[in-house]
Amino acid sequence: MKLKPKVLAMILAGGRVDELNVLTAYRPKSAVPFGGFARVIDFALSNLMHSGLERVAILSQYRSFSLINHIGIGAAWDMTGRHRGVSILPPSQGSGQSSWYRGSADAVYQNLDFVQYHDPETILVLSGDHVYQMDYREILQYHRDKDADLTIACLEVPMAEASRFGVADIDDEDGERGGRILQYQEKPANPSFNWASLTVYCFRPSVLYEVLAANAREDESFEFGRDILPRIMASQKKVYGFKFRGYWGYTRTVAEYWQTNMDLLGEAPKIPLEEWGIRTNLEHRAVRDCQPLKAGPAASIENSLVYNGCVVEGRVENSILFPGVHVKSGAEVKNSVLFFDNVVGHGASLNTVVSDVNVTFGARVRVGEPGAPQAEKVTVIGWNNQVPDGMVIGSGCTLHPNLRPEQMDREVKNGEVV
Amino acid sequence: MIQGDNTLVLLLAGGVGSRLNILVQTRAKPAVPFAGLYRVIDFSLSNVMNSGLSQVGVLTQYKPLSLMSHLGTGEAWDFTGRTREVKILPPRTGSQDSDWYKGTADAVRQNIDFIRARPSRETVILSGDHIYRMDLDDMLRFHRRKKAHVTIAMMVVPRSEIHQFGTGITNSEGRIVEWEEKPKVPRTDLASMGIYVFDTEYLLRLLEEDREEVDFGMHLIPKAIERDNVFAYLFHGYWRDVGTVQAYWQANMDLLKPEPEISPQAWGIRPNPYADRRPVDRCPARFAEGCVVKESMVSAGCFIEGEVINSVLSPGVRVGKNARVRDSIILHDCVLEEGAVVDLAILDKGVRVGQGAVVGKGEDKATPNKAFPTHLYTGITMIGKGAEVPARAMIGRNCVVTPLRRGEDFPSLVVATGDTI
Repeated sequence: MKLKPKVLAMILAGGRVDELNVLTAYRPKSAVPFGGFARVIDFALSNLMHSGLERVAILSQYRSFSLINHIGIGAAWDMTGRHRGVSILPPSQGSGQSSWYRGSADAVYQNLDFVQYHDPETILVLSGDHVYQMDYREILQYHRDKDADLTIACLEVPMAEASRFGVADIDDEDGERGGRILQYQEKPANPSFNWASLTVYCFRPSVLYEVLAANAREDESFEFGRDILPRIMASQKKVYGFKFRGYWGYTRTVAEYWQTNMDLLGEAPKIPLEEWGIRTNLEHRAVRDCQPLKAGPAASIENSLVYNGCVVEGRVENSILFPGVHVKSGAEVKNSVLFFDNVVGHGASLNTVVSDVNVTFGARVRVGEPGAPQAEKVTVIGWNNQVPDGMVIGSGCTLHPNLRPEQMDREVKNGEVV
Repeated sequence: MIQGDNTLVLLLAGGVGSRLNILVQTRAKPAVPFAGLYRVIDFSLSNVMNSGLSQVGVLTQYKPLSLMSHLGTGEAWDFTGRTREVKILPPRTGSQDSDWYKGTADAVRQNIDFIRARPSRETVILSGDHIYRMDLDDMLRFHRRKKAHVTIAMMVVPRSEIHQFGTGITNSEGRIVEWEEKPKVPRTDLASMGIYVFDTEYLLRLLEEDREEVDFGMHLIPKAIERDNVFAYLFHGYWRDVGTVQAYWQANMDLLKPEPEISPQAWGIRPNPYADRRPVDRCPARFAEGCVVKESMVSAGCFIEGEVINSVLSPGVRVGKNARVRDSIILHDCVLEEGAVVDLAILDKGVRVGQGAVVGKGEDKATPNKAFPTHLYTGITMIGKGAEVPARAMIGRNCVVTPLRRGEDFPSLVVATGDTI
């Protein structure tokens, strides 16, 4: 019998990152478009829906309009009803101390009244920034089986890359399933173990309340990975690692973001959107008002994802087109990701480009270099730019949003930032 | 803008549309899918929405289930709110007029209580069967300006087609002075589009006069023209009755032209994506290495490995390796297995075409279907909902495979032109 939900999910969706600054100039990282119709946070939300977890809070602070708009009332993920709901928790003023969220842990700490009101048996903390499919019921079951204070989902990464992550040393207590975490280090310079934390945490509420309070009282920094996990490790709690083995896509840098997009393509895509059952909110950006893709007489579309509302008269290869993209005749788009309402003019050629919403490429514009795509050579273009006819932009360039015409009146060389 | 709550809209969606053959075996004509994502009725509903009208009754009778689920709460067309609503009005028993709807006017008469319960100055009556865009608000303003009792939307059609319509002869002011329903010998090229604006009080009086008068075009309109002010509101532009297989196919093909006269998105036509079986889950269309897609419309959720030319694909269609689609309309979730060929055909939802099978084979497009010679005579072959065409089957032109046929239902792998399974 299902009475009140036992698990409260909290999605950390507040952040922006400097490496993705062009795409996060006007939206948090979790609201960055992904996959031709969705947003990055849709992966966490869809996973929650498919796991039957529908009491959700989203902690949001940076430029949250786009995110609030996207979440709506949560109906897209079936999160409306007597025991279902999405609450967006922005920073707020109170009678005591009131401040912006000083970190992910502080964001949860400032909303403890909300958490305690729901009085969950387990608190599931997630990041809204990752592209993956996970049935959270498995890690929750492991967490309960072990009667753990904290269970962390971890992915084995090459030792050479381990220094970029929070990494755990997991013992062999339950073999393939997981084990006790013996040590945890946040971005160690010389890692000696390589189970990377995926920012999927199951907490025993009393333990979380206690450590958040201590963190707020005594520390200078308020992050889960850097502060909360080490504190819990130091206090001899029962901390387990749940071994995850599926696909995990990062979106922290332009190169990572582009690579994760490319993982949607190919004969057997690493990200099978359909199989994963990704849901998004069709209400905003009038996605539901779009007619089907229209391909012209000279169109060619290969190894690509194209959503409703696009018009393709030219060539599209290894690319992802969001609704409203128009590729005019003679134009060529390769290895690129074009967000909503991009227009690619006659005879223009784009190679390895990530272009934000509402960018118009004039006729005969050239962006990027021909040849095999490389993640390091992605040119990223901020929103609302008009690239004039015939302009040449190199590879690995960065064009900020809303540039004025006089800033676009020249060739942009490889690697330049405008 | 004339205030939306002063005008009531009645949408006649009861039509059988039997000439659409297998497309209307499981659904009413207004619920027939069109242009990939839409249903025919979306055009009328969106015209109503875009004209700022928001009190709507939909009169249904024939196979209303898919229509009802498509309408839902009416939220897709903004018909929910304090003064906005859409109500389904099926025939019912127990009231004074308890019977099946015997005609357009009879259907409206049986819902007089609905009309009275929503006091309105005018009542707009239209059909849910047509593909067009029209500003009904402009028609209402015309109606008031002319101080008309009734205004009928009319358009010029070729003389060769006039016999299918109600026709009117107008005087210099635009007042209709003579009316002929489906004339054998045309005297005018002005045809009724089946869109009427009535002064509500006038409509109620007319309906109550004689219960034997069951049809607008046959009975009430001629009577009104004789006695009162009936005006013609001239419409120019794209308007199609997609009531025949040929017209339905042609209107879909019209979408694919480089400068199409018809563009659902530009017209502000809204589908209801939530009423579908898998509402929001459709992912972007996926195109494999080596596929060919030209002069076509492809909806979200399709996966194309083969070749698609001059065709309209609804969501979730899979075109396997070396499979080819040409000049066809493929509805939701059809699967064309490896090497299958579909040429000049309409596939209803969930059809599977087995490996190497051909739908639409041969050069003879002129031999009509033997069972339905008036439905299929231009070469189009139709496959019914959920049917499975066995691997390597060869199906000719003007054929019909009725819904849910499976391998054992095919007497032989060769289905000759004009045959029906």
